[in-house]
Amino acid sequence: MRQIIRRREIVADDARYPGEEASPQLRLVQPAADFIAAKLAGQAPDASAAILIGPTDEVESLAEQLPLLGLIVIAFPKIGEGRGFSQARLLRQRYGYAGELRARGAIKRDQLFFLARCGFDSFDLDPSEDLVAALAAFDVFSVAYQDGSDALVHVRRRAAPA
Amino acid sequence: MYRYDQIDQTLVNERVSQFRDQTRRFLAGELSEDEFRPLRLRNGLYIQRHAPMLRVSIPYGLLSSAQLHMLAHIARTYDRDYGHFTTRQNIQFNWPQLERVPDILADLASVQMHAIQTSGNCIRNITADHLAGVAPDEITDPRPYCEIIRQWAALHPEFSYLPRKFKIAVTASPADRAAVEIHDVGVRIRRGANSEIGFEILAGGGLGRTPIIGKVIRPFLPEADLLAYLEAILRVYNRHGRRDNIHKARIKILLRALGVEEFTRQVEQEFEVNREFAPRLAAQEIERMRGFFAPPPYQELEDGAPEIGSVSSGHPGYDAWLRYNTRRHKMAGYRVVIVSLKKHGEAPGDMTAGQMDALARLADRVSFGMLRATHDQNLVLADVPQSRLPEVWRELDALGLATANIGTLTDMICCPGLDFCSLANAGSIDVAKQIHARFDDLDYLYDLGPIEIKMSGCMNACGHHHIGHIGILGVDKHGKEWYQITIGGSSTGPAALGEVIGPSVPKHQVADTIALLLEVYARERHGEDERFVDTVRRVGIEPFQERVYETNHSPA
Repeated sequence: MRQIIRRREIVADDARYPGEEASPQLRLVQPAADFIAAKLAGQAPDASAAILIGPTDEVESLAEQLPLLGLIVIAFPKIGEGRGFSQARLLRQRYGYAGELRARGAIKRDQLFFLARCGFDSFDLDPSEDLVAALAAFDVFSVAYQDGSDALVHVRRRAAPA
Repeated sequence: MYRYDQIDQTLVNERVSQFRDQTRRFLAGELSEDEFRPLRLRNGLYIQRHAPMLRVSIPYGLLSSAQLHMLAHIARTYDRDYGHFTTRQNIQFNWPQLERVPDILADLASVQMHAIQTSGNCIRNITADHLAGVAPDEITDPRPYCEIIRQWAALHPEFSYLPRKFKIAVTASPADRAAVEIHDVGVRIRRGANSEIGFEILAGGGLGRTPIIGKVIRPFLPEADLLAYLEAILRVYNRHGRRDNIHKARIKILLRALGVEEFTRQVEQEFEVNREFAPRLAAQEIERMRGFFAPPPYQELEDGAPEIGSVSSGHPGYDAWLRYNTRRHKMAGYRVVIVSLKKHGEAPGDMTAGQMDALARLADRVSFGMLRATHDQNLVLADVPQSRLPEVWRELDALGLATANIGTLTDMICCPGLDFCSLANAGSIDVAKQIHARFDDLDYLYDLGPIEIKMSGCMNACGHHHIGHIGILGVDKHGKEWYQITIGGSSTGPAALGEVIGPSVPKHQVADTIALLLEVYARERHGEDERFVDTVRRVGIEPFQERVYETNHSPA
């Protein structure tokens, strides 16, 4: 059984991906394109649907669907992939997505701090990662120069009040 | 200079702890080489030909004497007693042990230094005019803006895994000593219609295997929007820059593919849409930052009479040094001294621990304890009272740091090349020595006037060969080192890319080939004031090609 980190706790994964075996406890995460195609074909989506976004998917096309979604998984297929950081920022900041936002793929504890600051709240890390040790990585920095989604670090305020 | 507060110090200390743990995990086999690579690169650590190489950040080239003492300590303790100043105003150590790098970073942190983002696909060290704050021609001191950008870029959560490296340079002078046109983003400080500060923003410049001059995408950006606009550029790049091919991943390729109009449209749109979330620079924050770069306590002095360099001191060595290695200062009675790291026979940019310590002590005595690193691999004592110049010359001369060749042919830019770098195709340092040996007559160099030679050991162009008046690029031909020569490049006024004169030449003929180019220059030159690069621009490259590739002197 795959484990993930969700809001700083290690929990059993509740998601399955296309090609993985079905199970009543697991919800299917479908590719964003399939979800949109089904929507356009007039199918009513499940309440609180789960979708998977790849690095080249444009989050703008999902803006109107966000209230229907309960889980968005952003894929990091390769070490060094960085588009997901911007996708997360846009979903949280610009489009106000409030559901679960998960990072999945070639990521380890070394990226957790940045991922959390961009708005991710659950993490399906590389299978080789030690999740217990990884939990400490959220606190590797106690300060930052930029605003972030987490309220955990001391951010130097440089901005004028809006 | 900027002084760390508790937040800055905490961040750097925590970074050291993080990297110590990452190094431990790598050595314990918990991190693969592929996983460790991006982590170590973001701390300036390369695995090189002989040993790891550690690149330490010198933000916009500004350095205190205490920091230079620490660099000397690191060279002595962890390396082979020297360091190499780079074209990004940083310093590299070529022989540290991987296991000891966390200790080096901890030592650096104790003097408010770090190696954060000196490599890797992230925002690199911000570079600036090395005469910032003392240049008579600048609009305002660019360093407060550099420090603001440095902090914003440090460990940026969204922009730490970019498609490729990202270099930003800032200038506030029409002379542009920061070469902003060849950076991913160039920032030119301007004054607006009501003399308010703002920025002209260039994007898409860069050298490497596809050299491109940057384009202006915003003629005037209000001061408060600096970070918001950078954020818009970075976001467009992070999302749409190519990641499938490392050689096509720089922002210049994206800009070229989209066209400057479409690229600009996307940036402007992102800038507008993102306004409510983007950081806006508050006037009091800019003021606070400006306070760190307030002028040092200058004495009220007067310029010496007669004007410096106008009459002989009776000592030709001193006169030449005054003329070539010092520059005018905005304050009466002061002079800028360029410390030459281009002594004949030495690798350009190299400096020993002993030289560093002695220079740091000299800076304490004559230049408010401050130094700068230049992008052409020299150092600067920026605030020297004119009355102390003879003493400074004598000391620098004794240290081997007063070679009066700044701006001449032997003030070359040179990458570490095949001797150290695992990317290089060919050696650079021994070619530099060959050129030094061939052109060791300073009077001949003075007759030639200003000539910039820039040399890279491979097409990654760390030595900026494309923008050398004479550019030298090392290439590998069937396992042998050959060199492609370009002429007519320039980093400024306006920036231009050099043209290849013809087939590459073998290593032993590089200096001979340059001698032939200079022969044509001497023949074609219009008056003493026409520089080599001006002659090339006026007559074109053909006369040079003809001479170099004459049948009785075929380099091939």
